[in-house]
Amino acid sequence: MAAHLIAGPVSGQPHSLDLGDRTGDTEALTAVADALEGLRHSERRLVGPLRLTCRNRSLTLPELRAIGGRLERQGLRLVEVQASAPDTLVAAAALGLVTSWPEPVVAPRGSDENAPPELTILRRTLRSGDQVSSMGSVLVLGDVNPGAMVSAAGHVLVWGRLRGKAHAGKNGDRRARITALQLRPLQLRIADVVARGPDDDPPPGLAEQAVLVGREIRIEAASPLWPLAN
Amino acid sequence: MTSANARLILICSGKGGVGKTTLTANLGIALARQGESVAVLDADFGLRNLDLLLGLENRIIYTAQDVLAGTCRLEQALVRHKQQPTLSLLPAGNPRMLEWITPDDMRRIAALLAEQFRFVLIDCPAGIEDGFRNAAAAAEEAIVVTTPEVSAVRDADRVIGLLNSMGVKPVQLVLNRVRPEMMANQEMLSVTDVTDILALPLLGLVQEDKQVIVSTNKGEPLTLGEPSTPAGCAYQNVARRLRGDAVPIVDPSTERRGLRSRLRKLMTTRIF
Repeated sequence: MAAHLIAGPVSGQPHSLDLGDRTGDTEALTAVADALEGLRHSERRLVGPLRLTCRNRSLTLPELRAIGGRLERQGLRLVEVQASAPDTLVAAAALGLVTSWPEPVVAPRGSDENAPPELTILRRTLRSGDQVSSMGSVLVLGDVNPGAMVSAAGHVLVWGRLRGKAHAGKNGDRRARITALQLRPLQLRIADVVARGPDDDPPPGLAEQAVLVGREIRIEAASPLWPLAN
Repeated sequence: MTSANARLILICSGKGGVGKTTLTANLGIALARQGESVAVLDADFGLRNLDLLLGLENRIIYTAQDVLAGTCRLEQALVRHKQQPTLSLLPAGNPRMLEWITPDDMRRIAALLAEQFRFVLIDCPAGIEDGFRNAAAAAEEAIVVTTPEVSAVRDADRVIGLLNSMGVKPVQLVLNRVRPEMMANQEMLSVTDVTDILALPLLGLVQEDKQVIVSTNKGEPLTLGEPSTPAGCAYQNVARRLRGDAVPIVDPSTERRGLRSRLRKLMTTRIF
């Protein structure tokens, strides 16, 4: 996974630069340079404080200082380092930066090192006006009727008819999917993408799932694999 | 709190104008004609009109609120029906005293009625606010009335969810104002469309019937006379099913098609 930069949600709040997993042993500085290079094509110029997410990379003090210098030239100021490797944290602390561990909550992007999120099981039909929200995945054993809404940070699974609204990956997990025995929702949302439900009649006896492909939600025959298994 | 065999039945819909009060009045009369002792309680304190439908408006002296306040005994407030004396109405109180009513008040009234009557039908106001919650607090089971329209079904669904969370059981469904020809042409939600969403046992199907309007305005429920109209028969069947009789439900949209095809067959054989 390549490094990527996310702008701060509110001006004044730090932007976030994720170095990504340590694949192919790209050097951290190269990863940062790549991410900044990618920025040149966007119209918005990012300046101000920045939080660096190092994941399991172990960075030495000179490496971190070099990254800080590279960011400085771009107008970005390194203020915080988030890492799971102890030596990176020690180096960051030595530079006088704020240090933190990765959040215990399941990070978006459903990366493999995170355990599958916990599952909420609802053994009832969600009727109009009912709203269910979960930080993990949701399995509804029953229908989701028009007017009801089920949202989850993980997957939304309906053993029944989904005719209300469903939002999977509400915290930004683009790999989250919505599966139902009969998928005819009023509206579907996966991560930040919204789609109207299909108008035509569902194929009889075929469970379907909605997944995010690029920027659009696609409906296809449900995968026989249990999505929460590794 | 209640006598062992009294049935406290809430008649509700969520949406207004789908026929709660009409069903309450007709069901009350039909049950009384079938030999039951019935009380109908108007829980629509703001916009009461159950008394109008039963033709009892001019006989009201005391109301439920007088009973609660202790100004009169329950027997004084109950209004017996002219033709069906086994049916009594407990009228709703003064709309200006709305804020007096609490769920506990409704439970007290219902308990009083349950001592004397086999069936207590509670006519619920539209909406899901305090009026609904008060009425539902007193009920043990419920009949949800809906029409084959998207908005009515949506509201009914919401109400069913609330009833479930309040522990009212069983909840049964009456589908009102059915137009068989529109259903057959798929211009209206079909019976299965509605039952698919609401997932409730169907207690009755009532056809759209002009006579309902006539009877409402006269204050004489259809079930008072020998039922000759489709709606009158349907209400009577709802009453019988409620008492436990196994009366089969026929879907008029499919039955009609059967009849028409039979007629056509008959005509073709006559001609040739």
